[in-house]
Amino acid sequence: MKLAVISCIHGNLEALNAVLSDIDQHKADQIYCLGDLVGYGPHPNAVVEMIRSLDIPTCQGCWDEDIVEGLNACECSYPSILAENRGRAAHEWTNAAIHPEVREYLSTLPLTIRESNLCFVHGSPNSQHEYLLPSMDGFAALERVLSTEADVLFCGHTHVPYVRDLNEGTISVRVTQGGDGKTDRQFTMPLKRIINAGSVGEPRHGRPNATYVLYDTETTQVTLREVPYDYQRTCAAIIEKGLPPIFAWRLAQGLEFAERADDPSHVCQR
Amino acid sequence: MRSPSLIAVAGPSGGGKTTWIVEQLKHSTHPTFYFSPGLGPITVDLARINYTCPTVQVIVGDPGKSWLTNLPLNALVYCELGVQIDLNSALFDPWPCRHLAVLPPCLTDSEWHSWADEIIPGNDLFLENAESLPNLWRSPLTGIVFDPPSLDMILAELTGGAYGELQRLKGIFEMPDGRAFYIDFVQGLKGIEYTELPLEPWLEGRPQRFSGIELAGWNLNQKLIADTLMEGCLSNEILTHYQQQYKNLNPLEEAIAG
Repeated sequence: MKLAVISCIHGNLEALNAVLSDIDQHKADQIYCLGDLVGYGPHPNAVVEMIRSLDIPTCQGCWDEDIVEGLNACECSYPSILAENRGRAAHEWTNAAIHPEVREYLSTLPLTIRESNLCFVHGSPNSQHEYLLPSMDGFAALERVLSTEADVLFCGHTHVPYVRDLNEGTISVRVTQGGDGKTDRQFTMPLKRIINAGSVGEPRHGRPNATYVLYDTETTQVTLREVPYDYQRTCAAIIEKGLPPIFAWRLAQGLEFAERADDPSHVCQR
Repeated sequence: MRSPSLIAVAGPSGGGKTTWIVEQLKHSTHPTFYFSPGLGPITVDLARINYTCPTVQVIVGDPGKSWLTNLPLNALVYCELGVQIDLNSALFDPWPCRHLAVLPPCLTDSEWHSWADEIIPGNDLFLENAESLPNLWRSPLTGIVFDPPSLDMILAELTGGAYGELQRLKGIFEMPDGRAFYIDFVQGLKGIEYTELPLEPWLEGRPQRFSGIELAGWNLNQKLIADTLMEGCLSNEILTHYQQQYKNLNPLEEAIAG
């Protein structure tokens, strides 16, 4: 079975349409979406309507949650005061533009989707706001996958796609209990894998192209897809709709709008 | 007739005139003076020289020629000529003046070559023949302290062309740990240069010393630049918090300063 996994669309309808066409061409059997349908981009309602109309199983992203619950980000969300100001401006614009039924739909999205040995989350199994960076400590990364009881964890949120294999190995644990009692145990772990789907609507890899992944459940082959699209139409819509013009410039450069994680050891406090 | 040594320094914008002069000023053992005709009363260059070479007397505004007669005979005077100054203007007549041009090595024939007594190799700059002169924009930033990652983001956007085509950026920026940096960007040269200025850390409220920014470029969106700079600076509350933390980290230094 061939799966397509998309994430972080951020109200970018042009990018979503291009990615859906690419998925069509690759004849994927099923699409999963890892959330962040809204935020920063100019078409949040249209993006949600498209995802709903195609009945794509979707996790709730951090931006989706913020639109339902209000802003409450941990410090890891923003690398600077300027970025935080811009994130707040984007949130306020989206919050005013969103339709009530869209907000209601976002509130119903699950945090996690399980399908056989696969698990789908937005950020990490801990929180939609936590970043699983490729440079995260291996033990911590393994803990995140083990907590889902799946073999393959799909995530987004970093906006940079990657595949990380946590190879088969042995973990030795010694627990010191009250008194002198010590317990030694060993666990043998099968191969675990983290697959980050990148971002459809807000790439951070230095080019404006949308990214997503294809996954073959029979062969376990992963294909990272990079899809060019008419980003200038999105840039024009950003300006036309009254969002900060700097968002258009950053989108065209393949830079993040505002949020970015850069500390792989940070444990999200959200 | 003995007279002070007068040295006029010219060259293209971004070629390295001020940097070369600062190096000479640092090592001067004579009473040394610096001025740059046509500059305003306080600019990034003047402040940089003041901060970097405190023994050098910086002459501001247009002093006329009479001040030269009052200089010590062993004085050394550096005069930096901006690109807007006519090289043939009789700035020091009748005193003899040595002409130095700080030029990109790739430039082999120019009006500076025929004017100069000596060519100093400067930045390896490719000079484009722009159809129009760049617009200049400068703003004082005194009292403003920047959030460092926000300033990095602003500089990346400015130099990347987000607010118009930037040819040159220079500025003095205050940081929350009390340090001040001279920051320099020249279109065509790699990266942005950061130089910490040799100043006492300012950890008591908003710094009451000059800081500022100067830009040269085309189609610069000045209002958006100003607004963005303001969005990247620290509020009183956050600044006080940071300053207290830095003072707690270095209680001995604070006691000495007090």
